[in-house]
Amino acid sequence: MTRYALGRILAGIPVLWLVATVTFLLLRFLPGGPFDKERVLPPEIMRNLAHRYRLEGTLGEQYVDYLERLARGDLGPSYKYVGRDVADILRDSVPVSLELGAAAFALTVVGGIGLGLAAGARRDSRVDRAISLGSLVGVSAPSFVVGAGGILLFGLALRWLPAGLWEGPLYAVLPACTLAALPTAYATQLTRAQVAAVMDQDYVRTARALGVRESRVRRRHVLRNALLAVMTYFGPLLAILLTGSFVVERIFAVPGMGRFFVTAVTNRDYPLVLGVTLVYAALVVVANLAVDLLYAWLDPRIRVGRGEP
Amino acid sequence: MRGLALAALFAVACSRGASRAPARQLRINLETEPPTLDWNLATDGVSIVAIEQLMRGLTRLGPDLAPEPDLAEHWDVSPDGRTYTFHLRQGVNWSDGVPLVAQHFVDSWQRLLAPATAAEYAYFLFGVRGARAYNAGKLGDFGAVGVHAPDDRTLVVELDAPLVYFPALVNFMVTFPLRRDLVERFGDRWTEPGNLVTLGPFVLAEWRHEYRLVLTANEHYWAGRPPLDRITAYMVQEGSTALVLFEQGLLDLVRIPPLEIRRYAERPEYLRRPLLRGYYYGFNVRKPPFDDVRVRRAFALAIDRAQFPGLLRGGEVPAASWIPAGMPFANAELGLPFDPERARALLREAGVDPAQLAPVKIVYNSDQTNKLVAEKVQAFWRDGLGVRVEVENREWKVYLRELSTDPPAVFRLGWGADFPDPDNFLNLFTSYSENNHTGWANPDYDALVERAAREPDTAERQRLYDRAQRILCEEDVPMVPLFDTSANFAVSPRVHGFVPSAMDLFFFEKVSAE
Repeated sequence: MTRYALGRILAGIPVLWLVATVTFLLLRFLPGGPFDKERVLPPEIMRNLAHRYRLEGTLGEQYVDYLERLARGDLGPSYKYVGRDVADILRDSVPVSLELGAAAFALTVVGGIGLGLAAGARRDSRVDRAISLGSLVGVSAPSFVVGAGGILLFGLALRWLPAGLWEGPLYAVLPACTLAALPTAYATQLTRAQVAAVMDQDYVRTARALGVRESRVRRRHVLRNALLAVMTYFGPLLAILLTGSFVVERIFAVPGMGRFFVTAVTNRDYPLVLGVTLVYAALVVVANLAVDLLYAWLDPRIRVGRGEP
Repeated sequence: MRGLALAALFAVACSRGASRAPARQLRINLETEPPTLDWNLATDGVSIVAIEQLMRGLTRLGPDLAPEPDLAEHWDVSPDGRTYTFHLRQGVNWSDGVPLVAQHFVDSWQRLLAPATAAEYAYFLFGVRGARAYNAGKLGDFGAVGVHAPDDRTLVVELDAPLVYFPALVNFMVTFPLRRDLVERFGDRWTEPGNLVTLGPFVLAEWRHEYRLVLTANEHYWAGRPPLDRITAYMVQEGSTALVLFEQGLLDLVRIPPLEIRRYAERPEYLRRPLLRGYYYGFNVRKPPFDDVRVRRAFALAIDRAQFPGLLRGGEVPAASWIPAGMPFANAELGLPFDPERARALLREAGVDPAQLAPVKIVYNSDQTNKLVAEKVQAFWRDGLGVRVEVENREWKVYLRELSTDPPAVFRLGWGADFPDPDNFLNLFTSYSENNHTGWANPDYDALVERAAREPDTAERQRLYDRAQRILCEEDVPMVPLFDTSANFAVSPRVHGFVPSAMDLFFFEKVSAE
């Protein structure tokens, strides 16, 4: 098991290299540079900037230089935030996104599975219809609509919650709920469908026929089997939520890293774009591994780390 | 369980309602993270807001935008206008107790101009003797650059040529004095709280990147401790969120997003400030049909500027000349008026048949205001001249690259004053300006702008600038000024004495909060 996990993590390194290379090239093919400004700079100043930020030389030389620095764990300086390294920026912003993402993920897991189970177990009941309708709305509404609605209702009309800033748990309620809205709705739909399918299985009927209590049937026989498919969704979702969301962080003024996925590109802050992309890619690798390990735990038929029999 | 959560929320809500905004504290919105607090390297409108509270320069701008003594108690100009001698105020100390000396200015200017610093605004001092060569690495010895400190209280600056606006230039942040010892000790981290030593009305207490800056009163400020104890500057990017936070009482001063201005216009919290910031359309005079001056004049005459304020509602002031109203030497009499009759006649005279003309393309950078303006201008030209007009938008950096490599036939840009002198605006369209994207060059215009920059006599300077503006906006018309913009704020009634400057700068030295 440990060997398997280590092997998977090592296999992630070429993935990260590929991501870094493709991102590096895409950025350089994008028209416009980091020092193109409304006020055009004199040529001698452009030369000084190119020298300071090692933008001289051919693209190939710059690429090798970048990879060398990356191998040493140096993500380079930000072009936009003078005197700050990409590593500093990530150190400040990643924990915030992790906090917010973890809260949203917890909401999604508990809410999505709970609601999906409630709906799927009583198919076509009033509860099922209400939950299905709600999840349909949740899947369809973009986060800026949910966020703006939350601000209008809880911030302005009721005045229960602050409309933004990041000063404590109360300030996390609106952004976490907004971030969780769509995945919760989707996880609800997914769980409901799986639960509904499993409810018809022979082993469930057998368990009931043997007189097993309904709550135990649902927990041991239905939920466990239904969750397998839902877990597949939670892996990448975890990576998405933990790296923050541009929209949610912007609407609620949350100082996370999600904003950089957009602002670093508009600023042509090449090292920062590469930094956030690599963090995201690394999280995807790790989250997928976590899901595969969880699989094995949920379903003893799945074995990791051994060859086919 | 649900009931409990609701009860808790309600309790919090009640306590919030009861709590008062903290006295003698100001909570403002900076909007974004200041890219730097290093005043040699800062270039942007956010960094300057923080820096202006922390630092002071040789001069400051008075209410009429004329430079007044600040760290320099007074200054002398040599008869040939090339040498400025600044006499520093006595008893000014940095926040660590070290007295200010003239060498701190020399150190700052040396760092600003050093090629390795790669300061974008090093060119502000290119008028100083040898500065440009030193910045380009062609002059190795800074001793040959025209800035010296013969003693602790005297700073002597020698210029290549007279610049009558030089005292206004040294009010700009990149020229502020600097503690070389601290920059050397802390490296890139010299601007972090705990390291940063300043001499303005406030000191830096906290900098939580991407979230907030906290400034506290400088107890030892030479001009007297400011009334505020503390300024918290948040970085709320979304304008509508900031406005809700203002309405919730969590912020005291925010900019109003364009769409909300109408809702705020009649409220007592509303504050509008016209800015020294112009918005213009440029023609690429190398691309037909704009290689013909009559066509350019015709297109300019077909624009009805009076419609922009009602369209945009951000307090725009229509402007037909380029020096913004409120700046010295502005002249609202100049420029081409709205005259579609004359415009059509000019097109005929140029032999242009509007129906046969290939579609004219307006390109702008993606933005709601720019889009509204472009569509309006499109309508003016289509309805007034009968020509076909296409509008296209581009992402900002793509747009800038296009302007510097292959400017579109018609493009938009803005320009805000760095220092309140017409030279800052008219220099833009000299043949050697990197910011002149029109391809237009007129030696008479260049000569007028150069002469005006050296002319100490106000009446003569006015005459030179009027003549230059006539060439630019009436005769050659490589560009068409459309309007000057305004800043729109919501200010809490508990805040007193907030007066934003026409250069979109804020000074909180005299502001108080109940």
